[in-house]
Amino acid sequence: MLNPQAHDLHGKTPMPLRVAADLRDDLMTVSRDLDRLQKLLVQACDELMRGFHGAVGDIQALVETARDTPSQKLFESVMQHLGGAITALQFQDMASQLIAHTDQRLRHCADRLARERTGNDDGEPLVEDAPLRPHPVLQHEMDAGAVELF
Amino acid sequence: MHSILAVDDSASMRQMVAFTLKSAGYSVVEAVDGQDAYEKAGKTDFDLVLTDQNMPRLDGIGLTKKLRDNPKFRSTPILILTTESSDEMKQAGRNAGASGWLVKPFDPAKLIEVIKKVIR
Repeated sequence: MLNPQAHDLHGKTPMPLRVAADLRDDLMTVSRDLDRLQKLLVQACDELMRGFHGAVGDIQALVETARDTPSQKLFESVMQHLGGAITALQFQDMASQLIAHTDQRLRHCADRLARERTGNDDGEPLVEDAPLRPHPVLQHEMDAGAVELF
Repeated sequence: MHSILAVDDSASMRQMVAFTLKSAGYSVVEAVDGQDAYEKAGKTDFDLVLTDQNMPRLDGIGLTKKLRDNPKFRSTPILILTTESSDEMKQAGRNAGASGWLVKPFDPAKLIEVIKKVIR
């Protein structure tokens, strides 16, 4: 049961009950939207991967037939472009990690909002462990990553 | 033919890594996380281990430590391929015994170049 005397997250002004409930609902809606986005990304990537492997198989077969012909250079160029596609296709993995991290943060916020507003620490948390460290994906661009040999 | 153990909990990443390595002529065994990799490493010899860092059950640094404790893998190159790029994590990888740290997304040509350099 919500406690009308409870204070907001900073312990200053009491947050109206209705606002807290709306905020929590909004956070959970965004979290569900992120789940849907995650599924769409996985589906799109699966489709891209099927197309990629199909194209690679066909190109490799053509390269075999074109060995030592003028077309060989063109095929090598195509393979280089496919190498670029491999870098770009890793986007799905990185985006998934970001989405999962953001989703966990949102659920943590919703959970904390409900607990602070109700003044009740006995309820089941929405997330088991709050992510305290920054998300692991820091790259700003789809450039190939750094290499450091120890 | 050199054999590489490729470890990543993301199926799409495993496909990308395996495709890149196989295209360059390497034999590839895939593992879905550190624990799976450690079990596979116990059964087969590998010339190199290429592992992700953030994985369920056993992460890349944990896998590296466990492999380094095994005399069979004391000198096997272990590369960590991850989205993590913080200095603290890199240092933890180095302390665990990793041979190198590669930040995703990887460039296929650069990855093969690095692998050729570390496999002797």
